[in-house]
Amino acid sequence: MADSEASPAAVRQMTRFERLPWRRIILLVLGVVIVTVVVLGVFRTLTSAQRFSGDYWIDQTVNGLAQGAILAMIALGYSLVYGILRMINFAHGEVFMAGAFGSFFFADAYVQSGFLNRSPVLALLIVAAVAISVSVGTAVLLERLAYRPLRNAPRLVPLITAIGASLFLQNAFRGFFGPQPYPFPKPQILAGNITLLGIPVQRIQVLVLIIAVICMVILQWFVSATTAGRSMRAVAQDKEIASLMGIHVDRVIVMTFAIGGVLAGIAGVLFSLTFEQVQFTMGFRPGIAAFTAAVLGGIGSIGGAALGGFVIGLLQAVGPSLLLTGFGIPSVNSLRDAFVFLVLVLILVFRPGGLLGSGEAEKM
Amino acid sequence: MDARRWIRAGALGGVVTIFLALVGLIGNFTGLRLVGEQITFARLMLVSAPLVAGLIVAAPRIEGGTRRAATLSEAIRGGAVAGAAAGAVFALGILFTDWIGDERVRRIFLNVSPQLMEFVTFEQAAGVGAAIILALSAAAGLLGGVLRVAPATIRRPVTAALSVTLLFGFLQRVIPIAFDQIGLERDWLYSASLGGLTWIGALVIAAASAGVSIVNSRYGSRLRGRFAGRPDTGPGVRPTTLVLGAAVLGLLIAAPQLLGSVISEVLGSVMVFALLGIGLNIVVGYAGLLDLGYVFFFALGAYAVALLTGATLNAFGIAPEPAISLGLNFYVAIPFVMLLAAVAGVLVGAPVLRLRGDYLALVTLGLGEMVTVLVGSPWLVPLVGGPSGMRGITDAGIGGLGFRQPQQFYYLALAFVVLAMFVSWRLAASRIGRAWTAMREDEQTADAMGINIVRFKLLAFAMGGAVGSLGGALFAVKIGSLTPASFQVLVSIQVLGLVILGGMGSLPGVIVGALVLVGLPGLLREFEEYRLLAYGAAVVAVMVLRPEGLVPNVRRSRELHEEEAEQDAWVKAEEPAAEGTPA
Repeated sequence: MADSEASPAAVRQMTRFERLPWRRIILLVLGVVIVTVVVLGVFRTLTSAQRFSGDYWIDQTVNGLAQGAILAMIALGYSLVYGILRMINFAHGEVFMAGAFGSFFFADAYVQSGFLNRSPVLALLIVAAVAISVSVGTAVLLERLAYRPLRNAPRLVPLITAIGASLFLQNAFRGFFGPQPYPFPKPQILAGNITLLGIPVQRIQVLVLIIAVICMVILQWFVSATTAGRSMRAVAQDKEIASLMGIHVDRVIVMTFAIGGVLAGIAGVLFSLTFEQVQFTMGFRPGIAAFTAAVLGGIGSIGGAALGGFVIGLLQAVGPSLLLTGFGIPSVNSLRDAFVFLVLVLILVFRPGGLLGSGEAEKM
Repeated sequence: MDARRWIRAGALGGVVTIFLALVGLIGNFTGLRLVGEQITFARLMLVSAPLVAGLIVAAPRIEGGTRRAATLSEAIRGGAVAGAAAGAVFALGILFTDWIGDERVRRIFLNVSPQLMEFVTFEQAAGVGAAIILALSAAAGLLGGVLRVAPATIRRPVTAALSVTLLFGFLQRVIPIAFDQIGLERDWLYSASLGGLTWIGALVIAAASAGVSIVNSRYGSRLRGRFAGRPDTGPGVRPTTLVLGAAVLGLLIAAPQLLGSVISEVLGSVMVFALLGIGLNIVVGYAGLLDLGYVFFFALGAYAVALLTGATLNAFGIAPEPAISLGLNFYVAIPFVMLLAAVAGVLVGAPVLRLRGDYLALVTLGLGEMVTVLVGSPWLVPLVGGPSGMRGITDAGIGGLGFRQPQQFYYLALAFVVLAMFVSWRLAASRIGRAWTAMREDEQTADAMGINIVRFKLLAFAMGGAVGSLGGALFAVKIGSLTPASFQVLVSIQVLGLVILGGMGSLPGVIVGALVLVGLPGLLREFEEYRLLAYGAAVVAVMVLRPEGLVPNVRRSRELHEEEAEQDAWVKAEEPAAEGTPA
């Protein structure tokens, strides 16, 4: 603009000065401030007079792990789709919500007929199957109607579409079932605590952790050892070459969305069992948290999504009380969601590739 | 092969109709009469999906590399089959619901009420009702098919007549008021007892709009050419555009006088959103940076103006002053608010600008959401009032002239919108605007050509933020009080929706988008519940069918269709929007 009249040498110096150091300086200052705040906050919390008890921290840690397991399962859906299409499926949170809602009506009917408590394993399996099919159906329809026509569109177009689809799905469910929350029944066998290693743990949390780990192991095996998994990896690397090698690219993409849907459906049931409630807005915040988890771990990597899920779960459960109470901020848990967003922003700013990722989020 | 395609299109239409019924749209609009007593919005929805299915199956297709229009007989058969298929799917839904009992379906789908069942069966037995639906749908599909293959001299007037008549039907709470204000007789046009158009009125409007359409297609280009005095291809602003703009502006100035305070209130909101849209358009449309946290600037503007002009915290009993309260005049405060927003835009933008587009979108989403949580958190009560917010925001009056009444506020907002549009328009045509365009189209090339990417991105953030904060400031003085509930992440998405619907990078598009997405739902109160559903559907539909928006910016639209232009001509013919593009 103004300096366009200046001599070429001056221009070069200006740009150099502006381009690298500015960003570096801002980042450095930000980083130092953040580290100071974190250290100070933790120190003050742990040394303050109205300290939390040790049991509180253990409880929160277990909560965080269980929550993180659910987030990890949703995060895998983001990560798989991103790995193949390089696209953020913003509506994945709604896929999760759809599964939870679909399964609610079965769970509710079963608890009224007494079936849920008579044979909880069978009932929960059916409920999960319903959730999975609803989620898979939603995810596949989404791909077919909203994303497939945009396969070669500029990058932001599918993202905007996904935002629209997310809004549409949320409000369609609101239209179908109303804005009120529904109480999700929990079978008696999952109520109450059991003691593991001297720590009281809610039974539902044990179930959540076991199922999440099983799902991740199966997914890892599927992607690394089966033919279908190999074709998924091939499509993720290069769609055109993969199709020349005889891989049906569209089918692989549908399969990826379906797998994301399966995981989201299971996560939906586990989430509803934990919080005992379903509502049309329930997908948004877990969706964002799970996306953050996927980015934190390094989007596109399965292990990364799992790791990111647990880290975000823990941060959400322990972070606000550990960091913020030290500064005398009241009711820190209301800031829990802002905390997740803060983490998302910070990861993207400081380490866009994530913990296990390659750093491709940053432009050259 | 054809039959299968027809049935598939029709069945999809039937599913859409079932969706409309389950989501409650059909049941809630049985009372909204558009024309006479029988043509209600709900009935229109019943036949619209078969009609669209008919239009689709009769559309020209690519066969063996050439584009071939459907013949009349194909269109008739295809339209009827598709319509019948749509009707059959919906009729099966009715019969199924009737078979298992609607009270059992209602336990899951709340909207399947006895009234809805009565409505969709035309108060007959389920079997008879299903047969009626089938017949009506087949007829609608047939109509769609025939309409699609009819020559343009017939198709255009018919389409114009139908759509304008329906628009008048939907505006049944606006136009009668205007008629009363001017002192025109309106009972011949709108029925006082039923609300909608009378049959005579509908016929007159249909005939008039068909006539205008015929005149336009026959003499339009010649008239425009003579009127303009020179060919349409000249540089700069065309006289036709100027005249059109002046006419629109005149209408906008006259609107509150014609329409009364209730509609002026809605128009005021439209203007606030238009202002936000103009700001976001700079960021998204000009510079190509997807910002999902635009609510940040909206909130910043609103709270900043509240603190600068002096407001009180919302609390029980005594109303304490916030931690900062300056008591400035609104017009003195505005430059500071905009400056603050611009600085905030730079601060927010600086660390995240190197991120790729979709990651940038999510970071901004996160920032916007953080603002929502922060202004509502108990932590910031002393500054912004926390969950209960602030009130008593000073009016933006000049001398004795206040701006709190809807009609007066509208003028204030309109003045700001016109100003923002002018600045934004000149900005787009300036060196800065061209740098943004270059950057949006190809960042690396722009960089290589000597455009300072970081500086121009920050500039876009700052300018967009400043305009957005104006929207927030106006919102604050309009309402006079603030609560965190007004600053949800949905605001960002709504503003993005209207920018996209209108067309990214297009200023008239922003106004059209705001009128459609904010104005229409505001006028049809029953529609309020479905506003967000419509937003979502509109965004997806625009992105899939017509990514350049309703009122496209020429350059942006070429960009979006760049790939098609590179392909062979006969593949290009596949583009579905090509036929419907207005001349």
